[in-house]
Amino acid sequence: MDSILIAMILALLIPIYEAWQDDDIWQKMLAFASIATKTSIMMLVISVLRDDWSIGVVAVITLSVGEAGLMLLAHLIKRLNEA
Amino acid sequence: MIDNYVYVIVALLPLSALMLVTQTNPYNALVIRAILGAVAALVYSVLGGADVALTEALVGTMLAVTLYVIAVRSSLVMRLGILAQKPDLTEDYITEFIASLRKVIKKHHLRLELVEYPDRDSLKQALLNREIHGICDRSGTSNIDNNPVYQTTIRVHRLFEILQKEFTYPDLKISYITPPNSEDKH
Amino acid sequence: MIDTLSYGLIIVGIIFWFWGTLPLIGNRSVLFKLHSLSVSDTLGSMAIVVGLLLKIPNEWSLLVLAIMTLAIWNTVLGYVLAYCSSSNEKIINKK
Repeated sequence: MDSILIAMILALLIPIYEAWQDDDIWQKMLAFASIATKTSIMMLVISVLRDDWSIGVVAVITLSVGEAGLMLLAHLIKRLNEA
Repeated sequence: MIDNYVYVIVALLPLSALMLVTQTNPYNALVIRAILGAVAALVYSVLGGADVALTEALVGTMLAVTLYVIAVRSSLVMRLGILAQKPDLTEDYITEFIASLRKVIKKHHLRLELVEYPDRDSLKQALLNREIHGICDRSGTSNIDNNPVYQTTIRVHRLFEILQKEFTYPDLKISYITPPNSEDKH
Repeated sequence: MIDTLSYGLIIVGIIFWFWGTLPLIGNRSVLFKLHSLSVSDTLGSMAIVVGLLLKIPNEWSLLVLAIMTLAIWNTVLGYVLAYCSSSNEKIINKK
């Protein structure tokens, strides 16, 4: 189970690197979408691993909140480039 | 006792924080701030603080970033007063002028907002009342090629420096003005 | 038996993650990256959650909620991101 989590962290490092090296804001938003999903799935895995369901509830809430925040941010940035 | 992966996950937090402080564009920095919020929520929940993680996800990732985008958008703006254009008199050199001005201030992440005034007096008065950051007005035509000369007056000193250094448009005069009676407002 | 199946699903999910995330690096367009990301990232995440569900079935409600959230919101998010980023490009072309 530990090696699975290490592999997940490696997969998480790819979008973090991408967000750092690309200057276009939409590429950064894509990287953020990827990171938001990956972190909450990792939280779910850890909650199953430890059998701690308060972390699981937080993981599911983070999953939907992250996506909602992302959609809000996408619309705001779109308005920004129009004006 | 503490698993190995915890150290690796905790190390992601300073990594993304370093990424955040090296950004220069404010909007890119805000997207990175959202990434930092997601990573921080992961770290907090790994360390067992489910309530802190929930707060970080709700406030740090969604609320703070959204509000800051709106705040940055409405504060990083240059308001330029111009005379109201008559609809029958289509002056395409003013659109050209505005486009090149927009390009210059975009390098400093500023937006340009045009405010129209009906006549010269109200334009001047608006600048003195600090309603706008600068005015632009044509003050005659140049002798050589009959193009209009633009007299641009700026009241913010930093903006004046930027435009003087980087804005090269033919037949353009830029001057700086300090509005009288400095009540403390900007 | 169930244990190997759940580990297999989790590993397949991680392979999907890598497959979807590796195209992020590179100079492709936003829409191409969005496509690979939304398809294989969502599938990979759902495979991982199903693997967890097989491992511990007694708390199924939370995991089913996670699967539904992933399926619905990731699809909507893909549409929203594509709409926002492509209308932006159209405006730049017009200027």
